Amino acid sequence: MIRLENVSKVYGNETLALKDVSFDIPKGEFVFLVGPSGSGKSTLLRLMNRQERPERGSVWVAGANINELAESRIPYLRRTMGNVFQDYKLLSNKTVFENVAFALEVIGKPRHLINQQVPQVLELVGLAGKEDRFPNQLSGGEQQRVSVARAFVNRPVILLADEPTGNLDPATGEGIMSLLDAINRMGTTVVMATHDHRVVNAMRRRVIQLDRGVVVRDQERGVYE
Amino acid sequence: MFQRVSYALRETFASFKRNMTLSLAAILTSAVSLLLVGTTFLIQRAFDNLLVQWRGDVGMIVFVRPDVEDDKIKFIEESLRAQPNVINVEKLLYLDKAASYEEAKRVFSNDPTTLSLLSIETVPSQFKVVPLTTDALLVRNLADQYRQLPGVQTVSLAEDEFEVISTLSQFVRVVTIGMSLVLLAVAVVLIWNTIRTAMFARRREIEVMKLVGATNWFIRVPFMLEGLVQGLFGALVSCVGLWGLNQAWTSGVAGFKPGTGVSSLVVPDGYVNGVMITLVIIGALAGAIGSGFAASKFLDV
Repeated sequence: MIRLENVSKVYGNETLALKDVSFDIPKGEFVFLVGPSGSGKSTLLRLMNRQERPERGSVWVAGANINELAESRIPYLRRTMGNVFQDYKLLSNKTVFENVAFALEVIGKPRHLINQQVPQVLELVGLAGKEDRFPNQLSGGEQQRVSVARAFVNRPVILLADEPTGNLDPATGEGIMSLLDAINRMGTTVVMATHDHRVVNAMRRRVIQLDRGVVVRDQERGVYE
Repeated sequence: MFQRVSYALRETFASFKRNMTLSLAAILTSAVSLLLVGTTFLIQRAFDNLLVQWRGDVGMIVFVRPDVEDDKIKFIEESLRAQPNVINVEKLLYLDKAASYEEAKRVFSNDPTTLSLLSIETVPSQFKVVPLTTDALLVRNLADQYRQLPGVQTVSLAEDEFEVISTLSQFVRVVTIGMSLVLLAVAVVLIWNTIRTAMFARRREIEVMKLVGATNWFIRVPFMLEGLVQGLFGALVSCVGLWGLNQAWTSGVAGFKPGTGVSSLVVPDGYVNGVMITLVIIGALAGAIGSGFAASKFLDV
């Protein structure tokens, strides 16, 4: 599903974010990217959704080298992916329903489909009944659920999550992890960057560890270390 | 499709409301600049009314009495053509009474008193002469010579008639075109800035839109519409101003004595309507294109 071949990324003239990174993520896998701050986890996610381009190497998603993708095709690549962020990135002037519906609206989905899919996904993430709340009326955990709902409402084949539990207490974080696990079990490939050792150790999934832009460990059913 | 159109309209309206003061500034600046562009058109047209008879380097007009016989007209023409060293015979033009009357209608467009004295029967026909020489004295001598010919009513020289007007027209044209271009550029920059501010205010939304796969056009269109609306509103305000200005001018000119020439400096309503349509098109295009460029430039937020 996702393949990186000798990928290097440099910021500015000197800061080496990634160096010669290669790995393969098969369809339906759940992968943790772990490592300290600045090790290159977020950069890897940004390369996968074409927010960034590598200086060297290639990034393949669903059989296509996305570095060679025309600008006009990038939106269509992103429609196959969901993104979840540490800071949720919700729109404060929109309700829960509108925030989730927004993801379908901007890709031109018809209203009847939006009215059908949004309640379904809100039910899935446990927010049924809170459709009309605004983000500031929700707890951190609930806001992150809205963000997951928005990422998943279009049934993406890949879900990229950047520190989704970073702002949450352990119990709330666990709830989010169960949600991502459930989404993964439905067939979506999940790539999650984290330095939350509790969730990594609890899930025992594939772990790719980075240190200063280099892959230092790639382990099936790994722990944080 | 309907979904996209309604989204674009909703966003345009919301953004317009959010940036009310900046939008108003952009609208007013476009209005002033377009008003100046429109005024330039009208001034040019008004001067053209005066200069219409002298178009195409005509330096001398030989007016022929309306009652003369055709053989006298022929004689005048032959005597003109017999001077190929002084006159550009290729460009020698004869306007018969019907054509001369049409021209008079334009020259005296706002001078009904003078115009009412003229008819196809009473208007003099005319020879328009393009001199080859720039020697004013030579042309003047030529004019004196033709004044003696039988059937000639009078001979007018461009130099006497319109030199001042021509120079004035040239000056006004340069100044007004220059000023309107500068103001138009200011209006486009203001519209650009309004759109940039609108995009900055919505940078988070744009980021989310891009991440969930909205195309650049989908993001750009509401901003372009906003710019188009600003340009359009500015143009409409300028049209109202232009119409008012023209009305005031036309009624002001009507106070001048007939035959003074000033009465020619009016613009017919049909022409004003044409100018207003042009302003609306310029305003809408400048707004849409300016904001389109701004939206493209700041889409990478």
